[in-house]
Amino acid sequence: MPSSLTSRRALLAGSAGVAALLLAGCSSTDAPTPTSTAPSASTGTSADAGTSPSSGGASQVDVTLTSASGADACELSATSVPAGPVTFTVTNVDSAAISEFEIISDDRIVGEKENLAPGLQPVSFTVTLGGGDYQAYCPGAAEDTLDLTVTGEAAPTPTGGVQAVLTEGTTGYGTYVAGQIEAMVEAVTNLQAAVDSGDLESAKKAYATARPFYEKVESDVEGFVLPGADPTDNSGNLDYLIDMRASNLDEAVGWSGFHAVERDLFKSGKITDGTKTYAADLTANVTKLAELAGGLTYKPEDLANGAAGLLEEVQANKIKGEEEKFSHLDLVDFAANVEGAEQAFAYLKPGLKEIDPDLTQTVAQRFDDVKTALKDYEDTSALGGYAAWTDALRKTDAARLSQVIQALQTPLASIAEKVATAK
Amino acid sequence: MTRPSEGGPAPEAGLPADPADRAASASPSAGRAASASPSAGRVASASPSAGRVASASPSAGRVASASPSAGRVASASEHIETPRLSRRALLGGALGGLALGGGAGALLGRATAPETAPSSSSTDPDAVPDSTAYEFYDQVHQGGIRTPPQRHAIFASFDVTATTASDLQVLLARWSASIAQLQQGRALGAVEPTRSTGVPTDTGEAQDLGPHGLTVTVGLGPGIFDERFGLAARRPAELAELPRLPSDQLRPGLTGGDLSLQACAEDPQVAYHAIRDLARVARGKAAIRWTVMGFGRASAGPHQSTPRNLMGFKDGTRNITTDEDYDAFVWHDGADQEWMVGGTYQVVRKIQMHIENWDTDYIADQHAVFGRTKLEGAPLTGAKEHDAPDFGATGPDGEPVIPPTSHVALAAHENNGGLKILRRSYNFTDGMAEDGQLDAGLLFIAYMNDPAAFVTLQTRLGRVDQLNEYIAHVGSAVFAVPPAPRRGSYIGAALFSPVE
Repeated sequence: MPSSLTSRRALLAGSAGVAALLLAGCSSTDAPTPTSTAPSASTGTSADAGTSPSSGGASQVDVTLTSASGADACELSATSVPAGPVTFTVTNVDSAAISEFEIISDDRIVGEKENLAPGLQPVSFTVTLGGGDYQAYCPGAAEDTLDLTVTGEAAPTPTGGVQAVLTEGTTGYGTYVAGQIEAMVEAVTNLQAAVDSGDLESAKKAYATARPFYEKVESDVEGFVLPGADPTDNSGNLDYLIDMRASNLDEAVGWSGFHAVERDLFKSGKITDGTKTYAADLTANVTKLAELAGGLTYKPEDLANGAAGLLEEVQANKIKGEEEKFSHLDLVDFAANVEGAEQAFAYLKPGLKEIDPDLTQTVAQRFDDVKTALKDYEDTSALGGYAAWTDALRKTDAARLSQVIQALQTPLASIAEKVATAK
Repeated sequence: MTRPSEGGPAPEAGLPADPADRAASASPSAGRAASASPSAGRVASASPSAGRVASASPSAGRVASASPSAGRVASASEHIETPRLSRRALLGGALGGLALGGGAGALLGRATAPETAPSSSSTDPDAVPDSTAYEFYDQVHQGGIRTPPQRHAIFASFDVTATTASDLQVLLARWSASIAQLQQGRALGAVEPTRSTGVPTDTGEAQDLGPHGLTVTVGLGPGIFDERFGLAARRPAELAELPRLPSDQLRPGLTGGDLSLQACAEDPQVAYHAIRDLARVARGKAAIRWTVMGFGRASAGPHQSTPRNLMGFKDGTRNITTDEDYDAFVWHDGADQEWMVGGTYQVVRKIQMHIENWDTDYIADQHAVFGRTKLEGAPLTGAKEHDAPDFGATGPDGEPVIPPTSHVALAAHENNGGLKILRRSYNFTDGMAEDGQLDAGLLFIAYMNDPAAFVTLQTRLGRVDQLNEYIAHVGSAVFAVPPAPRRGSYIGAALFSPVE
């Protein structure tokens, strides 16, 4: 069952942003981390085995939502679990009032399920919990907050076997991301040079060339703010400074980054001093981003969640034609998002095949379906190599492309849980 | 307050009328919630309105149908005592003015309080207390069909954008749970989340208003059974897009849809809140295709006085009221699709009225167009509203007294092989049309166990109805309406079980 936590995640990122690094799942945090489709969290390094029911390495907690005489109730099968992966299986028996279940630590959501309704199949999610006090939150229940105690120090660190293969994959993916970031610095430097030259056509080409790098790794590099910057102020938000769009223009900060350059090149068709400033700032900010994002390490579920995040980007911005409003290069970004997602999947594949070969095959097939659909729009004569995503084309074709992406999103969303609980 | 039984066929009036006997006072088939639901306590603690919600129902004196099925059977002879509240207050100022255009007395067909003062609770026989709440689960049929028509309605047709059966299941399940909440006057989750970063899950505008007799009826369009969701084998034989009918002037933006929601309530804001929040629940899975806001019910329900449409004529004089007629003409027997047992079909037509022209028509012609008198609503062959029309009677000139091309003559069951449909219409206005005329008319909603019944009637009407000079059918859609879900399940759940 799909979950749609994008907005929640964005909110969390916004409010929790004290540190420069807000990215979900990066190993440099030591608190439970909210992530997207298959929430998972990890703390520390080791723990004793517990005695509560466990399956496949995860403790099992059944969550039952009921309505007796109109009083809606949320019940947990265990109120204490050992540290480590915990799988919550939520069954809504007959509570119309409760549609959401969350696991909370220090006011932060470390895992949740939405769209719970009577009559649907039970849904489950797995989070890796370290020792401490947690709450299960069931908005709509008469008693909506239940205590959950996690005993032991921290989650066990799996060693050997599939986990080792997966870990090897994350290292490879880290190298891929680093390579993309490095290439992005070079590409925006080239864009700046083309803009400075005043040659509109070569600047447009350089723009189309530079765009894909950010889109391939966006879920890994979004969420950074400049060191010491106020996270509520977009003037220090690197994602805003690099990738703001007309649709999220913050008047107080103004136009910036890729799309400010895009607007000048493709809408006004003129390179001004302002354009040159935009391009120079873009190079500076991408360079800063490369410094901040350098040396990121990943857990296997980060790759799965990151891939899901990239597909959300496709659905939210590219298919709508919102991302490249002036250049209509949305399909170039679309292809880059898909490539980034497929890379993440490819690095998980050797380990995932051991865990769930059917799922691995399904996801691989759906990636092929997406790429096949995209082929229809390839055009070597077009800027960026894809047909312009005009309003007219969008009207006739958006639903088709959206459908192949959705078909991929559903199975992809189940990967995170699989890899997080792998031994 | 109940209406006396009619011995036989009675006169009829109204727009796309079905010829239905207005027989004995019928039942509260939809299963009135007898009292404040136990859940009201929660609402109570959370909002100031709680007191009203909790206390009103019991005193309302509604007769509860003990169980849905029992209610239906037993209800034929059951009379409901309805508390009296201000009709004008319920209508609200702006809409009230329009609806009461013919004068309050004329509108109600009986004496009412002076227009200058809101009437007391003893003057409106059809008033419903704002605490009236209908049960959603464990009814035989969905609400909003046999439920006595509320004063206001919002109809919305949706396109499903989800592409998987599981997404459609989640949508129908979430809608079902949400409707169950809304019909009890409860919010859909938090209006004011405790966490500062929380986004309200309920939009809040119905807070403190009470349930106001809200019902939300869910329909499944023909598109649900196309290739998208693997449900082709579940398509009932009768369900298909309506054929083009004579005089149709349909506009693409006002036709069709994969899903429908009909929200009816005594308060327009309660009805709108329901549609708005259900559309919100559907986001990403379904999007509104077209919508109509209806006011001033234009079809009588059981034991209600006959209301008037915007042409000033009574509408629904001979609507379906008896268990026998409901079983014969409205409820589906599930013959080819078991999941439709207790379901029905919903036909929706947005009918524009050429009001300015109508307003210049002389009264004798208005009478001839409908085949009825205006104030009393009597057939031209009778004296009282519920007198049976005599289609064979001729005048001194040898011509039929009720013209064969009058609306009543064409729609009457006597002239259609006994065919009847349940009408549950509302008036609408969309302000001014581009041509400088009032944009208003009838949101015609009818229920029947085979859409072919509507096709038959409208084919006759569309060809020769004198009324066609003054109306145009501009919107159209048809939906299958599944039965109500059991507690713990959802509307349409049976569709997704394996085919045996």
